[in-house]
Amino acid sequence: MTSIREHQYTVETLELTSKLLRSNPEYYTIWNHRRLTMQHLFKGPGSSERSREQDHDAIVNLISDDLAFLLPLLRKFPKCYWIWNYRLWLLEESTRLLPTAEARKFWQQELALAGKMLSLDSRNFHGWGYRRTVVQALESTKLSTQEPINSMAEQEFEYTTQMINSNLSNFSAWHTRSKLIPRLLNERGADNEARRRFLDEELELIQRALWAGSEDQSLWFYHQYLMSNFDPKYARDSMVPDLTTDERSKYIAQEFDRVQEMLDGDEDCKWIYQSLIHLSKLRKGLTAEWPAKADSVRQWTDELLRLDPLRAGRWNDLKSDLDN
Amino acid sequence: MSLVSGPGRGGTSAGAVPDELKLAVDNHVKYIQSLDTRQDELEYWLTEHLRLNGVYWGLTALHLLGHPEGLPRDATIDFVLSCQHGSGGFGAAPGHDAHMLYTVSAVQILATIDAVEELDLRGKAGEEQVGKYIAGLQNRETGSFAGDEWGETDTRFLFGAFNALSLLHLLSLIDVPKAVAHVHACANFDGGYGVSPGAESHAGQIYTCVGALAIAGRLDLVDRDRLGGWLSERQLPNGGLNGRPEKLEDVCYSWWVMSSLAMIDRLRWIDGDKLTQFILRCQDREQGGIADRPGDMVDVFHTVFGIAGLSLLSFPGLEAVDPIYCMPKAITSRILSK
Repeated sequence: MTSIREHQYTVETLELTSKLLRSNPEYYTIWNHRRLTMQHLFKGPGSSERSREQDHDAIVNLISDDLAFLLPLLRKFPKCYWIWNYRLWLLEESTRLLPTAEARKFWQQELALAGKMLSLDSRNFHGWGYRRTVVQALESTKLSTQEPINSMAEQEFEYTTQMINSNLSNFSAWHTRSKLIPRLLNERGADNEARRRFLDEELELIQRALWAGSEDQSLWFYHQYLMSNFDPKYARDSMVPDLTTDERSKYIAQEFDRVQEMLDGDEDCKWIYQSLIHLSKLRKGLTAEWPAKADSVRQWTDELLRLDPLRAGRWNDLKSDLDN
Repeated sequence: MSLVSGPGRGGTSAGAVPDELKLAVDNHVKYIQSLDTRQDELEYWLTEHLRLNGVYWGLTALHLLGHPEGLPRDATIDFVLSCQHGSGGFGAAPGHDAHMLYTVSAVQILATIDAVEELDLRGKAGEEQVGKYIAGLQNRETGSFAGDEWGETDTRFLFGAFNALSLLHLLSLIDVPKAVAHVHACANFDGGYGVSPGAESHAGQIYTCVGALAIAGRLDLVDRDRLGGWLSERQLPNGGLNGRPEKLEDVCYSWWVMSSLAMIDRLRWIDGDKLTQFILRCQDREQGGIADRPGDMVDVFHTVFGIAGLSLLSFPGLEAVDPIYCMPKAITSRILSK
């Protein structure tokens, strides 16, 4: 500890910080000291004997070794913010100190690490966040080796599809999908026709998923998100911004029928009633008319109160909202 | 303040709830007061990196329990000041580096015990400099805030800055509109917010983002019904709340979820009675303290957020808590009306 207090930045101090951090990775001041030590070592010994190439090799080795030191810690403490932060700092140092192609190699490896973490725990908050940060870095001009910069939106979108296919109940994956779609459509230069097709495919996907797991809230939240495409309030963010009122109504009617079909044999699923009410209100907002079967709207709110007493306050608010 | 867990465990009889569920106020007070006497335990030292947060958690819990005198005032001020650096920032304990998280706790502690002026009298840096330290962590291009000089960015730090600077009446040191725009960029399709633009909604981050918007007077930016709906779905059949879909319940979300619901006027969208019972089942009635869930070790973090949650639910005998600051409402009202 003395060498840390005395601000010594040597290989010995580095080893000492390793020892301390292995037993307590939350000790953030030690991580900071390790950063200072690394920066000192990056500069090399005081003499100017070393060639640029030696410097470069020394930095690559220091960073590789340090990344390797962190791996067992991440496995042992996957939820410790400080380790993830330190790792990102190290990678940013590689961007700052090394030729682009070299730094890019380091960042590229991290995608595999994030993938591994998420295969162990598909909802790990840090894992998803880390993956997003790494992708952002790889897409940035600082790490770009070509023009135009390679977007990874398609690849990442495909990754969310894979994650969803292996487990529908992955809210993190659905969320990520919602963030990638607008970018993806823009980058594809999708025209209105292509946008409609894309939306139709998403609607098919979520319908299949809902049939498989009608009690799964992740799916219903994503369904609600897709329904925003038909809500003038969210039109600005719509996947198909040029939908006419008529087309919106048709989509709503289609979804209404599909959701209502689910009710058959699944009468105790509150999400179905909730969605039917939501769609009815959407339709009302668009055309000032309730859908044909909407005399049931009040009955559905009663079902919500029966099936979901925990949120009675919410359903009562909805009821008085419908009365006004 | 020790963050050592235990010695006790939260109640274990999930199924057999006694008719009369009471909050063991005296034992919780004793538990918090005893925390700093446990320096012979290894875990006391392993949690040193959280010490100043721990003092804030313990002190706030004591105030809400109606025992504001529970920690010695002078010693508390001395300890807080001993964590300060010349930059104005505070570390977790003496000798630890300055960081936003501990600087905010320091300001909250001093504000709670009406001792902010001690910064100018005896601090290594005065009030204005503390504000400057915090303001210096804002990225003037994006509006976001870093935790310290090493640059980790997170909406937690932005909220911390808003929280502490508003208590110090120094919000003018930062670019509030830019910060607000950054928070708005963190919004998601479910109405919630994440650590940064693109990040998944998480009840803890929602608290920080909605809290920052509340301080800035910009709650008009929140999609209240959508967010309220998502937050209300955090309640599980056992009454407890989780932080994200398909996750386990945890007492600390009683605070993050409920305070957010309170700020957007949707607290009635969850079942308060069932949540009250859940929190009470997590207490160690004999030795004091509250755990994350029944049967686990108690600690001061879950103790304060459990009690603050009960306060939001108007549990009898507790001081009212401010849903934005997680401090006694009487104290924030006094400071903010100045």
